[in-house]
Amino acid sequence: VNVVVTPAMLGQVVVSGILAGALYAMVALGLALIFGVMRVINVAHGPLLMLGAYTTYFLWAHAGLNPYLSIPVSMAVLFALGMVLQRALVFRVIDAPELSSLLLTFGISIALVNLAQLAFTSDLRAIEFITGSWGMGPIALSKSRAIACVFAASITALAFLFLQKTRLGKAIRATSQSREVAMVCGIDVQRIHLITFGLASALAAAGGSLIAVMVAIQPEMGQIWTFKSFLVIVLGGAGNYPGALLGGMLLGLIEQLASLVLTTQLSEAVAYVLLVLVLLVRPTGLLGGRQT
Amino acid sequence: VTGQRATLLGLVVLLGALAAYPLWGSGYGVRSMLQLFMWIALAGSWNIISGLTGYVSFGHVAFFGAGAYTTAILIVKASWSWPAAALAGGVVAVLLAVVIGYPCLRLKGPYFAIAMLGLNEVLRALVSYFEGLTGGGLGLSLPTLDATFDIYYAMGLIAVAVTALTYAIVTSRFGLRLMTIREDEVAAEAMGIDTFRHKLYAFLLSAVGAGIVGGLAARDQGYIEPISVFPLLTTITMIVMALFGGKGTVWGPVLGAAVLFVFQEVVWARFIYLHQLFFGAIIVAVVLLMPRGVLGLLQMKYRLPRTI
Repeated sequence: VNVVVTPAMLGQVVVSGILAGALYAMVALGLALIFGVMRVINVAHGPLLMLGAYTTYFLWAHAGLNPYLSIPVSMAVLFALGMVLQRALVFRVIDAPELSSLLLTFGISIALVNLAQLAFTSDLRAIEFITGSWGMGPIALSKSRAIACVFAASITALAFLFLQKTRLGKAIRATSQSREVAMVCGIDVQRIHLITFGLASALAAAGGSLIAVMVAIQPEMGQIWTFKSFLVIVLGGAGNYPGALLGGMLLGLIEQLASLVLTTQLSEAVAYVLLVLVLLVRPTGLLGGRQT
Repeated sequence: VTGQRATLLGLVVLLGALAAYPLWGSGYGVRSMLQLFMWIALAGSWNIISGLTGYVSFGHVAFFGAGAYTTAILIVKASWSWPAAALAGGVVAVLLAVVIGYPCLRLKGPYFAIAMLGLNEVLRALVSYFEGLTGGGLGLSLPTLDATFDIYYAMGLIAVAVTALTYAIVTSRFGLRLMTIREDEVAAEAMGIDTFRHKLYAFLLSAVGAGIVGGLAARDQGYIEPISVFPLLTTITMIVMALFGGKGTVWGPVLGAAVLFVFQEVVWARFIYLHQLFFGAIIVAVVLLMPRGVLGLLQMKYRLPRTI
């Protein structure tokens, strides 16, 4: 256990925490959108992120495409896949008991992971595109993580702009406030559900693309992201979209802080302990309940 | 009443045959039956929390693994006898269930399901952290002991006990309250049911069997490591078996375990790499097409009671 903590180390923790937090916030926003609009927790969110990562990997490995330029491609591919999943399967369980939607998306999730294992094998794959870090005094700024943070923050900002300003975005928020009232106002709720699922999958895909440049990827990488995304929306308050930003930052910072004083193995458990603590102390999340 | 008596007689004959099986069965046969008992007990355990209350446990293998490690550690480091060590595995699984269930089951909604989904990772991390006790990634080797027959009976006993427990719950007021929670938790609360306490008790009951089974499996295999006792596939398998047979019923998990286990031995052994894809497809198909499982179809056709 490391006892001496210098200001430089603390600064490093804050910087790394924010870099990770922006990514968490973007990916979790996708999960929060689906939960807000359909009251469904999409267990397959992480595996969709994994597919986004592979899209970027293969475009880089076989077509030589700059991984950052492939973000729109992987988002588009997963947007389409998300719509297909929603249209074919998920829409059937939206009004069913929670157990049905959890089990259904769990089934989709394990099928996707197995398909990825068959198609891509379980080998670790890495994109060696950008390595090293920039020095800012005593603080090191990992290049791939810093760029990922900028992309994640921009994409998240665009998503919020879309939700706040456009008619479609307003329709999505209206549906998440009250499906019946939205329907009465002439909103095609089925279509909103389709677009929401597509959008959420695209956000996960963007996360996957960015992660692929940072660390080696493999088919089972996604599962932990479903869990962490859920933790982020619990931290921020379920159904509260801006809460996802706060939750993401918090998770990033807490994880980095923990890695300062704990061994690697134990810091993996930090996210879990955090979830249990939040549920004990403040189950409505830090920003409070449902406001959209 | 005669129908009931016939069923009871059939059950007694079946159990008698299973008890006598090791006397004439082949080594492979006994081993397979032992595995089947294990799956019946695991699917039945999952069914008690998820089938009866509707709260999905995505990490039931945690109790299996906790039981396996407890048993192995007690045998290796404290020289306990394996039956006592396996029972201790059940106790530890219950304690773990209290720690998880207390914060997560107080709330309605998906919190419990996702908390269980993440539990695996944590336990695996803890096992590798406490290397001195658990052997870390190297695992733990148990002293050699040929107890296949004894474990066969012990595993069979657990399978029977879990099924009998489910029967006792389903036919009791306690079970009725659990099913009320599943159908409408707000209404259950309004009727004065202490939903949190009921969910928690169901969860503890569903953990104990899985913990003991984990302990027996550890003794049977003679060697455990993190990957072998916390595989996601074990959770998936018990969910698929319970769903396929019919969740929330007494015989559903038994039927599901039997059918899928045989199928697995005969057909899937050749397509091991497609395992999870099949299971995923079965889950999706059961949820969408026959939410009450195979038993539900039979019950509809032959007008049988819906919870047995």
